[in-house]
Order: sequence, then structure tokens, then C-alpha cells
Amino acid sequence: MAARKELLQQQELIGSLQPALHVPQNWNYEVDGPLFKAYMHTPHDVGGQFDAPALYEEKEEEQWELNTYVTCEVLGWRGIWNSEERRRRADNDLGYALYLGLPYYGRWILAAARMLVDKNHISLTELIEKIAEVKARYAKK
Amino acid sequence: MPRSKPPEKSQPSAGKARFKVGDRVRVRDLPNLFYSRTQMYVRGIVGTIAACTYQDVIPEDEAFNRDGRLEQYYIVRFRQKDLWPEYPFDNDTLQTESPERWLEPVDG
Amino acid sequence: MSHAHTPGNGGADHPAAPMVEEITDFEVLEIAVRELAIEHGLFTAEDHRRFTEWAESIGPAAGSRLVAKAWTDPAFKARLLEDAVKACKEIGIDWAEPTGFGTPSDYMNLRVLEDTPTLHHVIVCTLCSCYPRPLLGMSPEWYRTTNYRRRLVRWPRQVLAEFGLILPPEVEVRVEDSNQKCRFMVLPVRPEGTENWTEEQLAEIVTRDCMIGVALPRPGRTADVHPMHKARRPVKGQAHSGEAAHESKK
Repeated sequence: MAARKELLQQQELIGSLQPALHVPQNWNYEVDGPLFKAYMHTPHDVGGQFDAPALYEEKEEEQWELNTYVTCEVLGWRGIWNSEERRRRADNDLGYALYLGLPYYGRWILAAARMLVDKNHISLTELIEKIAEVKARYAKK
Repeated sequence: MPRSKPPEKSQPSAGKARFKVGDRVRVRDLPNLFYSRTQMYVRGIVGTIAACTYQDVIPEDEAFNRDGRLEQYYIVRFRQKDLWPEYPFDNDTLQTESPERWLEPVDG
Repeated sequence: MSHAHTPGNGGADHPAAPMVEEITDFEVLEIAVRELAIEHGLFTAEDHRRFTEWAESIGPAAGSRLVAKAWTDPAFKARLLEDAVKACKEIGIDWAEPTGFGTPSDYMNLRVLEDTPTLHHVIVCTLCSCYPRPLLGMSPEWYRTTNYRRRLVRWPRQVLAEFGLILPPEVEVRVEDSNQKCRFMVLPVRPEGTENWTEEQLAEIVTRDCMIGVALPRPGRTADVHPMHKARRPVKGQAHSGEAAHESKK
């Protein structure tokens, strides 16, 4: 039963990540113009949106973040994708919940993984096997 | 091993720039679908060409890795009061870049 | 070379640092993607190492030198405003590095925005975080936040005030939203009290924040002071903050 409990908790969490329109929207036969436009809006286009003053802090860079930056750039260097496919399309394709919720370089690495699968450079089975293998490799240490 | 791929700058020129510094232009409000590099907050707003910068691939092409068509890019200057009606300072401005296809001439 | 030997970077002879905490999902994903890309020949480990070496070599000190030289050499300033990428070469910054045609994300269209006593520039990229990396290094985290990107274009004076910069109404604040392929750097006004200073002295007060436009240089101000969020497993020998000083958050 522990697994069910975890599932329910996950579902609740995923539910809370959805864009908060605060209206039921799970059986829409029609979507009016403004709502369609809002749905089509790309999450990265944030200029002018309301937000409260915040503490502008520096962040020390994680090793995985630098590695991610370099991996994405080297994939560009070798012609696998261009920056625009990453920063302005793939990042947006993650959707609002992930765009706003993930760390900056979390978006980058997910976008890179998705692109490699989409462009058939690697298969999804390879990727998930590799993720499982890497996890196991470091779990042993 | 794929060879290193420099950006493709050898395409035919986009031709003569349609606008010159000082021209008044309006940013088009084309439909948003899948991708955009033209911010919502400048759409439909009139500004002034501040610089003709370079020719490059069309953003909507580049985002889907289609290249070959180049066009002229500009820096456009807006009055903050035109962008945000409630903006309290008359002199403040904002500049951003735009490719030619996203701009239309404003008469007068 | 040692900096590139991170978990899973093919270096069995370089074991990962002792894990004090469980490896995170992003760390796992990063290793998986990098290893698969190398295994499939999309790039080599040597490509990754070379680019990392370049990424670790860049920082805001180059921009500081550029500004100091522009302040002391009017002919250089004229060349800088005319063709900034070319002028960068004069101080040893080559925008074509590390690939021969620049980085995939920074392009080669640098423009220097000159402040005057009645005009102040400040830079943002509302759509992502475009930043002149070859000249200023990696962007600060706050520059990448949706908060800064949302607010700077609409409430620039409020945001600047939060950085401690309050400008009189007669000074025109000009926001530069870097949304395409130009990259921008602010050339601030040389402050009073710096007459007869050497370029080295001048460079010390030209901090990264002054070149983004959220601070003004002045004698005695030699660091950008922000709270610092510490990394769990930081880049070894991290020097990305340049000469900026930081307050620990705790």
C-alpha cells in the first residue's frame, strides 16, 4: 500500500504544478479566443508580468550545471542543434509548470535529452537504461 | 564524427534594408504558435529604428533548424510611456531587436 | 585538465568526490546525456574538455579592462563604439573562441552602450538570459530569474533602486532587452575623483554590475555585494564571480 500512497502524493503534487487558471478545465469542448491565445503564449515571454521585489542573490555554480552548459554548447558546436532550438523552443516546450519550476540548467539538460531522442540520435530506451545505470553506479559508492 | 559546423553565413543577401535609422515602425502582432522571439509587450506598439544591425536567419526558421533565408535585423527604440500607459517618467526608453518581417512602416 | 573529471566523465582513475549527499536527478541526467552523446560520437570528451577550459577562463575582468581603456584612450573608445568585437581583440578577447566561429550561443555582434550624464543603460534578456559571455563570463543567477526579466522592462527604476541605484528623473533610463543576436555591455560614465588614475586602478571599480547597468562605478566601490547561495557540489576552483565579493547567506 506504500506504493499507492506515494502515487497519490505524486498525483497531488503534479496537480498542484498545473497552471493555475482556477477554473475547471478538464473537459473543454470549446476554447474561446483569449483562452486560446493564453494557451499559445510561450512561457519564456515574461517581460512586464507582475512580480514582487525579490532578493537578487548570486549562486555558486554546481559542477553539473557547468557540465550541462558545456554539453549543450558542444552539441551546438558539432551541429547537432542550434541555440535557438534549445533556449527559445525546447525550453518552452517543457510547458509552464516545468519552465517556471525547474532550475535554470535543469531546463537545459532536459531540453538536450529531449532533442537527442526527437532527432533520433539516441533512443528513449537507451536513455532510460542509461539513467538507471548511472543511478545504480553512484548508489553503490 | 560530425564535422564542426560553422554558422551558415554564406546565404544570399537579404537585399537592401527596408528601414533606416529614424524611421517609425510598428511591431506586428502575428499569431503565437509554438515559438516566438517577438515579445508580447512590444506587439502593436510604434517605435523608432535606432540601428540597422546585421542580416541573419529568420527566427521562426532557425528555431526549427531551417536555414537559408536571411533578413535584416534592427534595434527599435520605444518610449516607455507608449509601452506602459501608467509609466511615470516621460524621458525613459526601451530598446529591443526585431527582424524586418515583424515590422511595418508607420506613415508620417 | 582535472576540472573536467567529474562523475562519469570517463575518468575511472579520478574517482568522484566523496558523496555527502545522494546524487541528484539533474546530476544523473547530466551524466547520462553527456556519456550517451560521447558514446554515439556526437562530440568527443576532448571537445567537452576544451569548451570547459574556455568556459572557466572567461570572467568580468576582461570587460573591466575594456572600460578602463575606453576611459583613458578616446581613439580606442571610438573604435569600441564602432566595432566592439574588433576592439575586444585589442585587449586579447577573441569572440571567435573557442571554436573558431565563436560559441554557439553568444554570436559575434557585441554592441557597447555608452552612458552619458543624462542617459543610463541597463540590460536584460526577457526571453531567456542572453549575456556577453566572452567578455563578462557567465551571467549572474539573478539576471536569469523570471523576476528580474519580468520587472526590469516595466519598472526599471524600482528594480535599480533595489540594487541601490537611484537615478534622478532627468536622467533617461534606457532598458536594452537583448532578445536576438546582439550582445550588449554598458560603458559607464567615468566617475569624478579618478583623475590621473591608471588603467589598472580604473578597472578595479568597473565591476560586473556596472557593465550590466545595475550599479555605477565610484572610487572605493570595487565589488558587487550580493548574498551568495552556496552550491552542493560546486565547480572546483570556481572563479565565476570574478572579483566580486559575496556575503554568505548564513
